[in-house]
Amino acid sequence: MIRVVLPHTILSPLFSFMDSAILLENVSKKFKDFVAVDDLSFEVKAGDIYGFLGPNGSGKSTTLRMIMSLIQPSSGSIKLFGSSLAENRSEIMKKIGCIIEKPDFYGYLSAKDNLKLFARAHLLNYSKSQFDDLFSLVGLSGRENDKVKTFSHGMKQRLGLAQALIHEPKLIILDEPNTGLDPQGIIDLRHLIIKLNKERGITILFSSHILSEVQEICTNMVVINKGQVVVQGKVDDLLSHENLTVKLEVVHPKECQQLLSQSKWASVMEVHDEKLFVFNMGKDEIPEMVEFLSQNKISIQRIDYRNQLEDYFLKITQS
Amino acid sequence: MKEFAAILKNEMIKTIRRPRSFIGFAVISFICLMLQGAFYQDGKEILATVTGQLDNVFSIQGNILNGNLICYIVLQTLIVQMPLLVAFVTGDLISGETASGSIRFLLTTPASRTKIVLAKWLSGLMYTFLLLLVLGIFALFVSRAIFGVGDLMAMNSEGLTVIRADDINWRWGSAFLIAFLSLSVVASLGTMLSTIMDNSITPIVTVMATIIIFTIIGMFDMKSFDLIKPFLFTTHMISWRSLFEDPIPLNTILFSCGVLFLHIIIFLGIAIYYFKRKDITT
Amino acid sequence: MKNFVLLLFSFISINAFAIDDAKLLIRDLNKKFNQVEDYTARVQMKFNIPGVRMNNMSGNVFFKRPDRFRIRTKGIFFLPKQNPMQNMSAMLLDTSSYTSIISGYELVNGRNCAIVNIIPLKSVNELILGKFWIDVKNPLVLKTQITTKNNGTIETENVYSATSQYTLPDKIIIKVETKKIKMSKMMSVDLNKKAQDKSKLNEVETGTITLSFTDYKINTKFSDSELEKTGE
Repeated sequence: MIRVVLPHTILSPLFSFMDSAILLENVSKKFKDFVAVDDLSFEVKAGDIYGFLGPNGSGKSTTLRMIMSLIQPSSGSIKLFGSSLAENRSEIMKKIGCIIEKPDFYGYLSAKDNLKLFARAHLLNYSKSQFDDLFSLVGLSGRENDKVKTFSHGMKQRLGLAQALIHEPKLIILDEPNTGLDPQGIIDLRHLIIKLNKERGITILFSSHILSEVQEICTNMVVINKGQVVVQGKVDDLLSHENLTVKLEVVHPKECQQLLSQSKWASVMEVHDEKLFVFNMGKDEIPEMVEFLSQNKISIQRIDYRNQLEDYFLKITQS
Repeated sequence: MKEFAAILKNEMIKTIRRPRSFIGFAVISFICLMLQGAFYQDGKEILATVTGQLDNVFSIQGNILNGNLICYIVLQTLIVQMPLLVAFVTGDLISGETASGSIRFLLTTPASRTKIVLAKWLSGLMYTFLLLLVLGIFALFVSRAIFGVGDLMAMNSEGLTVIRADDINWRWGSAFLIAFLSLSVVASLGTMLSTIMDNSITPIVTVMATIIIFTIIGMFDMKSFDLIKPFLFTTHMISWRSLFEDPIPLNTILFSCGVLFLHIIIFLGIAIYYFKRKDITT
Repeated sequence: MKNFVLLLFSFISINAFAIDDAKLLIRDLNKKFNQVEDYTARVQMKFNIPGVRMNNMSGNVFFKRPDRFRIRTKGIFFLPKQNPMQNMSAMLLDTSSYTSIISGYELVNGRNCAIVNIIPLKSVNELILGKFWIDVKNPLVLKTQITTKNNGTIETENVYSATSQYTLPDKIIIKVETKKIKMSKMMSVDLNKKAQDKSKLNEVETGTITLSFTDYKINTKFSDSELEKTGE
């Protein structure tokens, strides 16, 4: 297992002059005898889209709830935009929006009435046109006056996103926001997150089990397991040295096997059922191999590779 | 202050617009009308069970079966039911949101947890007030409209007290205020249990069970229970009835009000203390 | 034998005198009763009945001979089932319906009164026995004790002013015997009261109703409808 953990005594001075959106320092949470989060430290810079990953039961939700002040840490400190959460909660919550797991609303009220409650709690006076824009942004135009109990799960996710955005926060925390969304919804959400980050400079802490989305969207990430940080850093940097598992099926497998066994990929090749070729190689090598096969008149039926991040994630969390 | 006003408004909107809130109003109206109908039909026979003891010796003159008496009887009948209706809504104020998950929606706003509990508690009080108002309108004003106005023949286990019609309105007003204080204890208890428990049903059932058990203890004329009764808040909840005695035991009423107020402070204090420290894991 | 006959003759004579004296007294009393065809008055009522708390109240009294009596007031009040004001004059006026005998003499409020026993010959309002303390000098009923079949014994005490020319008292104090009212818990919903000493619940106690009359207006020939109206 590769575990890259730099003590914050070294990191903090380096980052102190940059904008920090979230800073967790030695945060722990204990529920009776169970340690859910164990001396966790990481930092999310302002302007980042930060991936927050971990297997089930790793302490992700607990950590996110601590950041959202739904759970009190047993020890350690949490700072948001340089302010202590314990001391300045009210001011800090004005700058944060979130979807924690599945968003729940008041089913007996309409979508708009639910958002009005939230807006009022933030002392906001939202006009009709502002509500219309917001509903349009999340793809719920025409459903404003419908009772939330009639909404599907995906629609509630969209409404949850509207609720997270209504007070124009500087930081949005999204805990598995793709859950229940259809493929178009997932794509729309991805574009929206990128747009919010690029156009409005909103920092996003994004947690999802759809690792392809994380790899697509996030600039930085942290992986935790059993309540502790396993690895953190820029996504590209972390993945750049990692190999992929590539699967190849060809029209003429025997010829292909013969050819590849004499190539530089022979040592990283496995053959299954005499037709499936499996390689462990860097992403950059794939085009090279395709070109090599093409030049040797080997027709490719199928070539695919598991998400780089998936492999990486499984490697670091299972080891 | 603005922030508190905003969340208080939110809580009041939620309480009023919840479908279950209307159940209490419907039940109160129905019970009042049903009792009024029964008394309209058979009132004289029902009264005879009381006045019959005097009939051998006295002739009771005047309009006994009037709106004031009907109101008095209706309020007596609802001594246990009213707290249950209050508990039905207030026991669910926070635990209902915890169970449904919308508590997360609420706790990620800038308002502090103390303000949220206070806002919820006040919205519970508002509901209680409205419930009493509906009861007052139906029990008193509708009864007066049907049966007319007259002296009130208030009954208690020690006999009868006749309260003159021109001396009664201030007593109703004061009884209303004391009843509101009494039901505020129930609302506070419900709110407190609602902060502790994570599901909707348990706080409601716990409040109901507490009231029922305490009331049953209060009903028995046993010397052994006399030791316990002063410590039960249900003992003091019915102090409004003392306003219909002659002379009015003012010190007793004020003492009961003090005890009720103390209960409210304690329940609310526990609710705030607990909720501030509660981890929301649902 | 002689002594016996003498004793018997004396006894009969005394009784005869007693009966005759009673008739004379009642005759004089009835003369006064007959002067009043009707009257109205203001009345103040004070109640002291075991188990009943009731403030004083005032109202108007209407009476028409022989026995139509009505107190009109706002609100609830108690009167004895056998209303002595209603029964008294009616009882005494019809001399053929009873026999009367003086059973003794007693001082009442400083006045020498003959105790006249009235024994009905036929049932009048279930009357069993009536006892009247009548002032021998100025025939006025100062006290009564009326026993009826179903309503027990009711005593009244009448107080007259010095200038009363009619048989109309300034004050009547009515005493009745009654048991303490027992109310069921379900009717009274009297929760959380301390346990009662049940041994005292069946004791008979005496209650009083005091009626004080002012502003008598006599023989005004008011309409019969005044006896039916409600309210003061």
